[in-house]
Amino acid sequence: MQAAVILAELPEPGPGAIPENGPGRLAVFDATEEWATFSRPAESTPGKAPVDTTDLWESQVVVRGMHCAACSLTLEQALLAIPGVSAARVSAASQRASIVWAAALTRPSEWMAAPLDLGYRLLPAADAFAPQHGRKAAQLALWRWLVAGFCMMQVMMYATPAYVAGPGDITPDIQSLLRWASWVLSLPVVFFSCAPFFGNALRDLRQRRVSMDLPVALGIVIIFAVSSAATFEPQGRWGKEVYFDSLTMFVFFLLTGRWLEQRLRARTAGALDSLMQRLPDSVERQQTHGGFERVTVRRLVAGDVVRVLPGEAFPADGTIVLGDTFVDEALLTGESRPVARPLGASVLAGSYNLSAAVQVHIEKIGESTRYAQIVALMARAAVDKPQLAVQADRVAKPFLGLVLLAAALAATYWWSTDPARGLMAAVAVLVVTCPCALSLATPTAMLTSAGLLARHGVLVRRLQALEDLVSIDTLIFDKTGTLTEARMGLRGVSTRRGVTAAQALQLACALAQHSLHPLSRALVQAAGPGFTPGTLQVFDVQEFAGQGLEGRLTDLPVPGVLGLVRLGSAQFCRLDGAHHSLRVYLADALGWLAGFDLDEVIRPDAHEAVSRLYKVGVEVQMLSGDSYAAARRVADQLGIKVVQGDCTPQNKLKHLQALQQQGRKVLMVGDGLNDGPVLARAHVSVALGQAVPLAQAQSDLVMPGGQLLMLPNMLAHARQTLRVVRQNLGWAAGYNLVCVPLALMGWLPAWLAGLGMALSSLLVIANAARLSRLKEKS
Amino acid sequence: MDVLFLLVPLSVLLALAVLGLLAWAVWSGQFDDMESEGQRIFQDETMNSPQKRPADMTS
Repeated sequence: MQAAVILAELPEPGPGAIPENGPGRLAVFDATEEWATFSRPAESTPGKAPVDTTDLWESQVVVRGMHCAACSLTLEQALLAIPGVSAARVSAASQRASIVWAAALTRPSEWMAAPLDLGYRLLPAADAFAPQHGRKAAQLALWRWLVAGFCMMQVMMYATPAYVAGPGDITPDIQSLLRWASWVLSLPVVFFSCAPFFGNALRDLRQRRVSMDLPVALGIVIIFAVSSAATFEPQGRWGKEVYFDSLTMFVFFLLTGRWLEQRLRARTAGALDSLMQRLPDSVERQQTHGGFERVTVRRLVAGDVVRVLPGEAFPADGTIVLGDTFVDEALLTGESRPVARPLGASVLAGSYNLSAAVQVHIEKIGESTRYAQIVALMARAAVDKPQLAVQADRVAKPFLGLVLLAAALAATYWWSTDPARGLMAAVAVLVVTCPCALSLATPTAMLTSAGLLARHGVLVRRLQALEDLVSIDTLIFDKTGTLTEARMGLRGVSTRRGVTAAQALQLACALAQHSLHPLSRALVQAAGPGFTPGTLQVFDVQEFAGQGLEGRLTDLPVPGVLGLVRLGSAQFCRLDGAHHSLRVYLADALGWLAGFDLDEVIRPDAHEAVSRLYKVGVEVQMLSGDSYAAARRVADQLGIKVVQGDCTPQNKLKHLQALQQQGRKVLMVGDGLNDGPVLARAHVSVALGQAVPLAQAQSDLVMPGGQLLMLPNMLAHARQTLRVVRQNLGWAAGYNLVCVPLALMGWLPAWLAGLGMALSSLLVIANAARLSRLKEKS
Repeated sequence: MDVLFLLVPLSVLLALAVLGLLAWAVWSGQFDDMESEGQRIFQDETMNSPQKRPADMTS
């Protein structure tokens, strides 16, 4: 704990001052309690063969210094080269990395230090000073942009006379004066505003690899060198033309594009960030004498009492011990309306307190909270690379090599006839190509979708699932806990003459409260607050698993009932009658006493969800472990045509495989508890319900709130997502195909090339941003 | 036309001065939060510290 506090108080290194953050400083992360704040134990490794599986950790880190999607592969390779690191996934779009490492072989300081040599800096994802760093970086980016923009305007003023004047209108000394002025104002643009391009290009050169900053930096250097030569030595061999206006303009366009891109990315893919950075930094904790002091959230322990003001987020899971309020749990459960949380109610970490100050008794903190589980899940999805993105990345790298080659060819081809045109053609080729658009096309769209779905209560565990959802034509529902709620309702009570329904229910509840069987719980729930266990005493309660309960009444609290009382199936109560999974009997020494008919409660939105699914052309089926009759009844109410009852998990699996052999793409929706293997085999799987521990759910998507209506919406949204991905890929490829030949011919001025490049990246991201709103299809 | 030899360098100096002003604005955080300042006026005055209230309206 202490180490982190010290680290946070160290002076913030200047942005880009990577060497300052040497390995020595990273050593503070080597204490177990430190790395535990941004890591969690990992079980298996999908990547390299594990060296030591006993003490594996998975860490989430933020990557700084990564400007291009092509970098992510390099960083991954560098991390994997460290002994002890068994898996590394880097996402360029979310600027995050997930690293699995063995504590026996390496330490965080080791794998955090290694990327420093490559020019990347890793920060613990949960680290408190990450936002602070972001602010400084944003200010610097804005400043670079402003310098470029302002100087561009001024340089344009000095360039205008040369464009409008006829030959001989400007005397040579005035002309050279204007060129000098342009040169002076180009200096800050080249040496300050373009510093990131040069820095990244140099780093890439040193690593003997190519990225998109290299061609841009080359273009800047060439134009500036040629124009400077023309300024100082107009009769020299580099010609007498200056291009300061083109130079400043395309730098300005590039920086504008990059700046907007960062902002858009923060807004869209940043839905994940907003989820991850929901916990407050500090909170008011009650001291032993009753006063409150502000402490960092990391110092909280279970048992503390904290005061949470309206507008603040709850720092941990707990119970309200003072006050009533409304909370916003939208990101955690998908419930978009404010939820009332009176005295004694439990609240979740990461939800917002809306209306009044409350005091909360902390029960769970850190990794064990539901919030932490969701964050871990989302962080995993954010670094997941869908197949389309992997392919695009693979294309992007050789593409860059080709661009450099093409630029060199253009320069040599035109050189003999018209050196100026040759140079400008080479520069235009360098600037106009945009492998970035290609690399960004898929991940931005998918991350935006994942962020949107998260806001509506669907957590995406595997981005690939979004792509797979599109081809789904069959949907299989589990019944219990999926189409129906986990609880059951009491439909009717029949009793022996002389015993009232209320008495029978009281008696049944007195027995049932000793059991956790779903039917017992349903009975207790059905009795509601009218049931007071104190009035009835049952002794020697015994539970016979799967059959029923037995207990003894000593006196006669209920007239006419004596001796041994049994609650359970007909057979257990020694009664004749067909077995019915939803009927519970009560019997005493005299025989039948009462019968309770229970009914499954169908989720309120199930009917509409099913009919909408049929409408979009998805065949809906239901497989249930319950009896066929029970399954059929629910199916009929919902309008589901294909139903199978009495299914064991093996039956379900067989049915699924049979469908898949017919070439169907199956989406399986279950509660994630007892149908894990079936969920794992389906093309796409959805687990819903609060019962599932999120980390253990076997499915691609998790719906903690269980809003079935999201299923048709989700399918429609997945289709829209893939459409956007295709548009993006098509646009990026088409843009490069059209612009590179134009630039090669020398028909594209440098400023237009800069504008095109900036716009092509922006268009891709803006197109993805369209996905951040859900289209409600009726 | 000779005056241009004075005016053009002056304009360069002026541009650099404006850049200096912009630098101050950026680094003192003027552009950090473009949205919430505009919404401050909608907030209850009691929520603000006394310094941030509009100056005495009566005087």
